[in-house]
Amino acid sequence: MSTALKLRNLLRSGIHRIGQLEIHTDLYGYSYGVCHCDDAHLATEPAFGGLEIHEGPDDARDLSTYAEDGTYRFTKGQTNLKRGWVMVLNDEEELRLALDQFYPACVGLFLAQQGGTLEIETLREKLNRQTGMYRFARTISDAGAQQLVQQVCGPAHQCAKKILWQLDSVTPLDDSEASRFNGIPGGLPESEAIPLLCREACNHFVAECRKAAKAEFEKKAEA
Amino acid sequence: MSIAPKPNSALLIVGHGSTENPDSSTPYFEHADEIRNRGLFGEVHCCFWKEEPSLREAFYLIDADEVYVVPDFISEGYFTQDVIPRELLLTGPTTQVRGKTFHYCLPVGVHRSMTDLILKRAKEVAPDIDPATTTLIITGHGTGLNQNSTKAIRDQVDRIIEAGAGYAAVLDAYMEEAPFIAEWDQMASTPNVVVVPFFISDGLHSFQDIPVLLGIDSEVGAAASQREVFRQNPHALRGKTLYYSSAIGTERLMADVILDQIADFDKAHPSL
Repeated sequence: MSTALKLRNLLRSGIHRIGQLEIHTDLYGYSYGVCHCDDAHLATEPAFGGLEIHEGPDDARDLSTYAEDGTYRFTKGQTNLKRGWVMVLNDEEELRLALDQFYPACVGLFLAQQGGTLEIETLREKLNRQTGMYRFARTISDAGAQQLVQQVCGPAHQCAKKILWQLDSVTPLDDSEASRFNGIPGGLPESEAIPLLCREACNHFVAECRKAAKAEFEKKAEA
Repeated sequence: MSIAPKPNSALLIVGHGSTENPDSSTPYFEHADEIRNRGLFGEVHCCFWKEEPSLREAFYLIDADEVYVVPDFISEGYFTQDVIPRELLLTGPTTQVRGKTFHYCLPVGVHRSMTDLILKRAKEVAPDIDPATTTLIITGHGTGLNQNSTKAIRDQVDRIIEAGAGYAAVLDAYMEEAPFIAEWDQMASTPNVVVVPFFISDGLHSFQDIPVLLGIDSEVGAAASQREVFRQNPHALRGKTLYYSSAIGTERLMADVILDQIADFDKAHPSL
């Protein structure tokens, strides 16, 4: 069964949210509609409550590139998706295309997790494959990496993804708000949302590891 | 070259991407949109080294059992020969990975049809000048780390000269190795100079770094899409008239080059 059809089944089972997106079914003649979850009530009003209408999935990337204040959303799990629009879609293929622009691969990652085929990559595996200017990131200490998770990840730092990875195969993340977060912003029950899953440390985290590793190196050199 | 529809196959376009520059991945998505709209593949996806979805996440995007992977890169080199195969677990032109068949095509930049795109872009940016009074410079990054990164550009220079496009001279120049693009005025003996950046996107290099090296900008500016005024050609600089185009990869016809690489792959591997 295709990812789009599995997505349809998920929606029929009661799921209506992914990240900050509310997914409407049967919205004024369209099979699906997506909007910012804080605009969910507007989308069902006549004329979509005055929300800016986007037909088809093509604008999904533009809508998700910048936050309301104009800053670049460099990771897609950021909790600063802008409001004020609704995207109407004709079928689950279009919905799937749109969701893969807002939250790349997140539907597929969730389906793989449900099916037991999701492969998770530890932080060390990720860092050890970095080259060029990012090679130095691999020198970060375990303590430094643990600290960084709490400084960079989780909803307190605008990331809505559930971290699945460990530092290495035997070292889990320290308990924290970031490591505990379930990938569903807004506190919805797990039966109503597709969680955003973080199967590997993102490139923003890798870049932060590099900075922290350099700081550790300089501190050692000074000592 | 035309390509037969492949409704049961997926196309995976691989780009570099950036966590800092929002324009960096735009061309890849545009190339994907263009090919998706033609309905040639069952699925069309993008993945990136430095952006989401990552190459490893691409496995979770694809439904089809057969996947054509096309590096949307300008040259063969470290990324196309080491990083992409490693990340996608590819060991040759065709590899079975997790129950799917992956075909690994050559990067777009080495395809001979890029020559026509460069000439088209050069003509668009300077439509009224006589090529006989013009030096065409194809510029790229250049690095001492991998000789292949400049080979793609030198090959294009040779092909343009062979094509008899009429330019007084066709030259290659680089940001970080000789011949240096910063010395464009010294390498050109003609009054007119057209510079085409051989990059996929209008990112840091083509719209921020190279304009400074050319003398158009005195300091590195904002990202291309954030500028109020698009670059105005021509520029009267260093006693010459300079025309500077946007990156070659921003050309929408790049979608055809991607398809050309797939057609070439199929031709080279007829048993498929």
